[in-house]
Amino acid sequence: MRALLLALICGALPLAAHARLEVVATLPDLAALAREVGGDAVAVTALVDPNEDPHYVDPKPSLVLPLNRADLLIVNGLELEVGWLPPLQVAARNGNIQTGADGYFDASSVVDRLNVPGGKVDRAQGDIHPGGNPHFVFDPRAAARIATALGDRMARLDPTHAEQYRANAKALHDRLDDLAERERARFAALPAAQRQVVIYHDSLPYLADWLGLTPVAFVEPRPGIPPTPPHVAKVLQRMKKAEARVILQEAFYPKKTSETLARLAGGRVVVLEGGARFGAGDTYSARITRVAEAIHAALSR
Amino acid sequence: MNRERAWAALCGLALGAALPARGAPPPDDPGLDPAEQAALAAALQADAATVEDAVHPAPVVVAAGAGSSNPDISLVLDTAGAWFSDAPAQLGGHDPNRTGFVLQQLEMNVVSNVDPFFRFEANIVFAEFGVEVEEAYATSLALPGNLQLRAGQFLTRFGRLNPTHPHAWDFVDQPLVNGKFFGSEGSRGLGAEVSWLSPLPWYAELAGALTNAHNACCARSFYGGDDLGVEDPRDLLATLTLKQFFDLSRTWGLKVGLSTQLGPNPTGQGNRTDIYGADLYLRYRDPGSRGALSLQVEGMVRSRQAPDDRLQDAGGYAQLVWDIDPEWGVGARYEYVSGVEDDPLDPAWATARQRASAQVTWWPSHFSRLRLQGNHDRLPDRDDPLWGAMLALEVVVGAHGAHGY
Repeated sequence: MRALLLALICGALPLAAHARLEVVATLPDLAALAREVGGDAVAVTALVDPNEDPHYVDPKPSLVLPLNRADLLIVNGLELEVGWLPPLQVAARNGNIQTGADGYFDASSVVDRLNVPGGKVDRAQGDIHPGGNPHFVFDPRAAARIATALGDRMARLDPTHAEQYRANAKALHDRLDDLAERERARFAALPAAQRQVVIYHDSLPYLADWLGLTPVAFVEPRPGIPPTPPHVAKVLQRMKKAEARVILQEAFYPKKTSETLARLAGGRVVVLEGGARFGAGDTYSARITRVAEAIHAALSR
Repeated sequence: MNRERAWAALCGLALGAALPARGAPPPDDPGLDPAEQAALAAALQADAATVEDAVHPAPVVVAAGAGSSNPDISLVLDTAGAWFSDAPAQLGGHDPNRTGFVLQQLEMNVVSNVDPFFRFEANIVFAEFGVEVEEAYATSLALPGNLQLRAGQFLTRFGRLNPTHPHAWDFVDQPLVNGKFFGSEGSRGLGAEVSWLSPLPWYAELAGALTNAHNACCARSFYGGDDLGVEDPRDLLATLTLKQFFDLSRTWGLKVGLSTQLGPNPTGQGNRTDIYGADLYLRYRDPGSRGALSLQVEGMVRSRQAPDDRLQDAGGYAQLVWDIDPEWGVGARYEYVSGVEDDPLDPAWATARQRASAQVTWWPSHFSRLRLQGNHDRLPDRDDPLWGAMLALEVVVGAHGAHGY
């Protein structure tokens, strides 16, 4: 019995010299990028489910375990994870991944930020992020820059595979830039009036910027504040006036209001996937292509 | 439920008049026909009613301005109006404890990494009676061997509720068993703690702390208000805990804890008090939604060596909390704490005390909540039940840190 117990405990001990770089990413999109850059030299874990609102993640103690083993933690940054990640980071007892360490990679540090508030940030404006809008994984141009920076960071942490990381990162960067340009051109071929959209939560400025979409209204009156009847009535009026037909939202927001607005304005709702289905082997390129495809199909109907 | 109805239901205030009535054109009339307005109103209600979208595991967050090296500082204001059918008998230091208005607390929370090795955290509480350093401690970030050190003044990790602050609680007041066994401010003290994350494939964490055994507010089963000094390590208060978490499925999580607290009491040389506790937290939440249902149960037994006697009592609570959507939550709690004849600490507590509570919470945003709670309290020394009602407002400003599971 005692031998069995000992075997169990020893079997569970992490191997002292694990061969692969242990990478933990908060968002499944970032995890998918890390896997493409790292290839078979890294083991990647995503903390957030693709259908989960990354603002509101239950800080389950089980999430401490991958963080405890991690050589590299990839966060989105701009306070997207501030509601749940910091206590997990402390509980992980892992100096490698503390904020500022080499094994802490903040993706927002390498992208061009949008919606950076000027002047004082006041919460009467809703739940806004003082450093800028954090939802840049919707833009493959941002993802391309993240891939390159990740390649450099992995090379620094694991010099034996440095060449492989940098080569993978370069190839991924180029693929994402091509994809971004191809889709941008395809959307640009649509008339500007047809590229008007309504967005549920102000989480898609990067997507709008990439694909040349013009948001005419948000279903939420202010970020994080649920819609009210007078506000929704105004949204409908604006949709009708601008002849915007398409409402974009992420899967974790409620859909009835958007569906009703779409019906009354003679349009449709496009529900965007929250992230790559990382656990099922999905790639970032595949997921972002599906997003662009779904929006293009809705706009051209 | 829409915002107007929320106000009406919770406050009973005639605010509805100030807001656009349903069906009537709002001030800037968008010119919709009644059918369109009805359809939108129905859709809004349907969305609000889905368990989809919502819960605030606790009021959250937003950190300090980018590029600033200041610590994250936040203020939490808890204030309440309360009514009791007879003389109040609340045990918690932050509980509404009179008929009328109460400042439960104004808590200033300061958090920052010190350097790559330590994180600093302090909770300074301003109350009606003055200012108190409730907690101020440093936590190590990178000790080898999965160890972690905490030193300073801190809440011990006994059980589930004790290590947390009132604004992480689902109910307005502190459970009776915590007040009776630990004190009005819960179990806390000056000392040091070592914890260890085990290498098991599930989360299992062991922690042991040594703290001073005196303080009327926070170690009443031990030296309490009498500082009898430390001549032996056994004159300190030892707290040992084991916490484990199991991911039962994608949606269900179970956290269980075992705790014990061992220390000296002031009734005579070598007289000891032992407290043992077990706690359970079962939570359902679909990651694709923000609604959640959670069951929390905590029980403890206490044994005190008094000069000629061994006094034994027990207590606990069970609570069920349903976070319905981003704006609404409800909860119910039942408490039972046994009594002891001729208890030197609680002479009037000869038989069991039972309390039942129910609460409704409304969150206008992540940073504010309004709670209405009712209590039905059966005290051992009173013939009639004590009824209580509280309406508590909590607001959070500044960069407030995240809460644990």
